[in-house]
Amino acid sequence: MEVNLVVEAFKFMILGMLAVFAFLYLLVLAMKVEAKVIERYFSDKKSSFAAEESEDEEEERRRVAAIIAAVIEYRKS
Amino acid sequence: MKRLLLIFFLTFSALSNLYAGGGEEISARVSDKELIHTVEYKPKTLSVMLSDFFETTGIYAMLEPKEGLKNGDGEQMSRFSQSIGRIIMFVVVFILFYLAIVKEFEPLLLLPIAFGGLLANIPVANMTAPDGFLGIIYNMGIANEFFPLLIFMGVGAMTDFGPLLSNPKTAMLGGAAQFGIFGSLLGAAALSQYTPLADFTMKQCASISIIGGADGPTSIFIASALSPELLGAIAVAAYSYMALVPVIQPPIMKFLTTESERRIVMPRPRSVSRREKLIFPIIIVMMSALILPKSAPLIGAFAFGNFAKESGVVERLSTQMQNSLINIVTIFLGLGVGSKLQADKFLVLDTLGILVIGLFAFAAGTASGIIMAKIMNRFSDEPINPLIGAAGVSAVPMAARVVNRVGAEARPGNVLLMHAMGPNVAGVIGSAVAAGVLLSIFK
Repeated sequence: MEVNLVVEAFKFMILGMLAVFAFLYLLVLAMKVEAKVIERYFSDKKSSFAAEESEDEEEERRRVAAIIAAVIEYRKS
Repeated sequence: MKRLLLIFFLTFSALSNLYAGGGEEISARVSDKELIHTVEYKPKTLSVMLSDFFETTGIYAMLEPKEGLKNGDGEQMSRFSQSIGRIIMFVVVFILFYLAIVKEFEPLLLLPIAFGGLLANIPVANMTAPDGFLGIIYNMGIANEFFPLLIFMGVGAMTDFGPLLSNPKTAMLGGAAQFGIFGSLLGAAALSQYTPLADFTMKQCASISIIGGADGPTSIFIASALSPELLGAIAVAAYSYMALVPVIQPPIMKFLTTESERRIVMPRPRSVSRREKLIFPIIIVMMSALILPKSAPLIGAFAFGNFAKESGVVERLSTQMQNSLINIVTIFLGLGVGSKLQADKFLVLDTLGILVIGLFAFAAGTASGIIMAKIMNRFSDEPINPLIGAAGVSAVPMAARVVNRVGAEARPGNVLLMHAMGPNVAGVIGSAVAAGVLLSIFK
């Protein structure tokens, strides 16, 4: 039987694109779930850049002030 | 002194004539090792020796092609590919050298491939035979699809999935660009079916179309599995076009987007924790295991490299994968692929067809990535610059850099690099999935 390559190729295309999109779509879902789970249950401030960046600047300033105060106290004694 | 030498020479030739008296001529062609071991040496005259030696030279082999001479794989070579063909291939190889050295087209692979091609076309030496230099390399890691996997492992160890994890939906762009693969599969099939220009089988069409994945190792992986006879041309086309990404893509990108679309600024990507990055390779392995085990070798090797990198505890291993290992394998991969640049394999009309279809595949991949990005931009709450769709063809990180450049041209200071890296690495996964689909259809 003569095989029509174009018809075959068309079927390949449908299957292939479906598979690629399905795979990547599931991957997107998995990534979103992963991000949520980690954010909720394992949010580890030290290993997360997000945590570092979102840290309050006010907090930072207070900490610096406290350190300076401690150093001054230490030198006095 | 001169006289002495002359006398010596004369006696020598006289003696050798004497001893050889009536001796049969044995072929001086000693390409076969067994011949050397089994046939005992018989004395010959100097003149016979000289003419025999001349017959073993490359000049003679190219001037006097023999009917029915076999190549390294035991196939008969035409007289053309033994003579002019070799010379044309030397010219082709020098063009590849030029592209690699002067134009810096993917020199890391093009240079070893071209040199392998040079060696493969040397007459008499027969280096592509299974026991020849190139043949050994080819059988060691290309015929069995091993080297591309090692390369994938190294690429995995070099890849940062952070940009993709921070904006997961951009992964879909890496999927759309795989239309380049299947669109050109359709193109290759149409060319073979309706025109006399090409006559590819379905397997050959599939391995040509994978050029559209813009991923060298994947192309080699598929070509050696489905149609090794086209491997040389496919690898050369894949790597040349990958190097030409900065030339091929921008016109298509500009044609398909408006000025205002190119000026879109995307929100700063959120940062990604180390845990997320560490779990990601496990996720893709599990997904390929469940959905498409045929893609598991490619994705598995890739994920292993990435896992080793992100784990942070096996830095010695991940450094090796990223450096020494990938470099060593690149040398072997290049030379092995080069062994398929023999005149009788490369100088066929098919090669021209492969080059044309490969270019089309690249263009189609770029275009469909951009169109997908435009559609997503319309329906998404966050703006998406359609240019990043072009990075969905793999070609990491070149395609992402091109996106960044074109974006910065439209709006200076608009940095799209990180946004483009998402589709870019998703493109690698996408083409590995597409490769798995093609393999699962045929096997």
